[in-house]
Amino acid sequence: MCRLQPHPYYGRVSLAHFTSRRRRPQGTHGHRLGSMAAKKLRRARLSQELCERLSRHQITTCQDFLCLSLLELMKVTGQSYYDVQKLLCRVSRACAPKMQTAYEMKLRKSVNSSSAFLSTTLHSLDKVLHGGVPCGSLTEITSPPGCGKTQFCIMVSVLATLPVSMGGLDGAVIYVDTESAFSAERLIEIAGNRFPTYFDSDEKLFCMTRSIHLYRELTCGSVLKRIMSLEEEIISKKVKLIIIDSVASVVRKEFDTKLQGNLAERSNFLARGASVLKYLAEEFSIPVILTNQITTSLSNGPAIQADLVSPADDLSLSEGASGSGKKESGCVTAALGNTWSHSVNTRLILQYHDLPTRQLLVAKSPVAPFSAFFYTIEKSGLVLQDGKDQTNLTWEGTNPALQTIRVRNTALKDTLPDAALPSATD
Amino acid sequence: MQREVGSLPLAPALRAKLVAAGFQTAQELLETGPCGLSKELGISKEEALEALQVVRQECPGDVARTAGGSGITRKCTALELLEEEQAQGSIITFCSALDSILGGGVQLTKITEICGAPGVGKTQLCMQLAVDVQIPECFGGVAGEAVFIDTEGSFMVDRVVDIATACVQHCQLIAEAHQEEDHLKALETFSLESILSHIYYFRCRDYIELLAQVYLLPDFLSEHSKVRLVVVDGIAFPFRHDFEDLSLRTRLLNGLAQQLIIIAHDHKSAVVLTNQMTTRIGQNQSTLVPALVSWLPRCAASSCHSKCRRY
Repeated sequence: MCRLQPHPYYGRVSLAHFTSRRRRPQGTHGHRLGSMAAKKLRRARLSQELCERLSRHQITTCQDFLCLSLLELMKVTGQSYYDVQKLLCRVSRACAPKMQTAYEMKLRKSVNSSSAFLSTTLHSLDKVLHGGVPCGSLTEITSPPGCGKTQFCIMVSVLATLPVSMGGLDGAVIYVDTESAFSAERLIEIAGNRFPTYFDSDEKLFCMTRSIHLYRELTCGSVLKRIMSLEEEIISKKVKLIIIDSVASVVRKEFDTKLQGNLAERSNFLARGASVLKYLAEEFSIPVILTNQITTSLSNGPAIQADLVSPADDLSLSEGASGSGKKESGCVTAALGNTWSHSVNTRLILQYHDLPTRQLLVAKSPVAPFSAFFYTIEKSGLVLQDGKDQTNLTWEGTNPALQTIRVRNTALKDTLPDAALPSATD
Repeated sequence: MQREVGSLPLAPALRAKLVAAGFQTAQELLETGPCGLSKELGISKEEALEALQVVRQECPGDVARTAGGSGITRKCTALELLEEEQAQGSIITFCSALDSILGGGVQLTKITEICGAPGVGKTQLCMQLAVDVQIPECFGGVAGEAVFIDTEGSFMVDRVVDIATACVQHCQLIAEAHQEEDHLKALETFSLESILSHIYYFRCRDYIELLAQVYLLPDFLSEHSKVRLVVVDGIAFPFRHDFEDLSLRTRLLNGLAQQLIIIAHDHKSAVVLTNQMTTRIGQNQSTLVPALVSWLPRCAASSCHSKCRRY
């Protein structure tokens, strides 16, 4: 099976058509990160004799116990209805989450309020998001190729390593790179230009670069394995930020949704990855940033003016396409489907405006309304353009899963610099 | 009293012995008495007594048989039921359009399902309901507490603080406009702190924790008898991935639905569930439908938000 190397220039990658493969969801079914399901019944304070009897029927974990119906449990334990109900309560108590009131949660938050957000140093954005990229939840950055996703990720990695007094998290960063788009030179350039007074010596720069741990993963399986192994690394390396750039590229390489069964397996993989990442984010109270690509949503809705860049490659079957050859009215939206849109908590969309200005939209956020900002990419990373006239923007939000994204004009594609390299202007 | 021995909730071994000894109805068991039973079956007198007590609990009287104290099978006329339903309060949301669609608010003793596309505001609505259930009776609320079971991790305390503050202010404005004695008294206890302290939050990471929590919910609700709202945010989410055995999933979901129906009825609380939307691929087109569609018939009211404005 041919392995496609990620091409550094986005938009020119043509997806090879793999032959149909039924991919089995990887990872052992028993090991669930951070869950109580795999807890052995012994630890649920059941009597030794009962545990032995149950293990003869292959029931060893709480998960096995709770999945059985009452009649099956009666048969297996040999006890009466009411006794089995009491047993169920006992096992449930071993598995159930702890109760906390909303008041306790608020008190806990106000005690360590400094680590509730990672400030992006884009002031208007931080204000709208009530502080910045939220800790403990998943944030997704979606955009057409070349808009600045990787730039944003590199910039945020620098910010996470800064001391708390400067708005950072004073910790290490885990950067999972699936497209080989990370550039260490750009990292140093951004750091040096954004915080010239802080990074005044080479020593400080090297210290910062030492805390950014880069992992190159090229397949879905290896990405998932890497995510599952992060728990120990976070503790040992004192990691305060996880970035995965990008989820969409590995997934779309390996799952061709036109083939039977692949759509379900893709959702399965994404849901599993999302739940592990959510667990890590919540357990350690750190932000997790993921990047996503765009796709063409061919619905029978009104036509949106969007210049489509090779729509044949990006057809998302789940939105319905009766024939790829026909000219359908469609719109460009975030890739990876509906289920993924449910899994992320915050979604930021980057899109083109008038070059070199681009636009950043807050499309989905539990604390922020729908907002838009203009920015450009410069030596110091992303720079917001405050005060630019934004009266012609619509301030209503639409369905974030179908939020339309402006893609750059095909004609200009070749004359523009790529995302991986800094802009040649300024 | 003609209840068959095989249907009694006794231990399987004991049941097998009874059937082998030729007992057919519960009446026969009661007539034999504990000593006779123990001699015939070869079990100890204590075991026989226990079995008889179970039988008596199951079939208490000769006249109208009612199942154990759960009150599921009751006899009443439709008029009584109508009066009862109308007397039932509902949770108002202070949003008149929504309240009128739902017929006065989110109804108690019923299950309401809210499904919608991502980001449309399902969790926001649930957080608002968790605050609104606590509105004192003099303002039209039900003065209850809320249980919030979160499977997706989208519960934001800061947002609840905002909503609660706004709700308290709203009530204060009403009190100022009407200047009634009980309004002011109610406002003394209706503060941000008390609202937050009466939202009981459970974070369930996977379906096992969700199942376990719902098993324990009746006991929790008996201890906290003022709870009038149970929110399960993301009922579909833990079941949607990593489930190879689809029949097990259906069975677990049905069991969950039954338990929630019982909880809603017994504790006179509203149960609100949120569901995701998924794409159903048809022949020529695809539509957005709520996930795990077979779930729907069990819910009393189900409102779909699709492509609505966020602010």
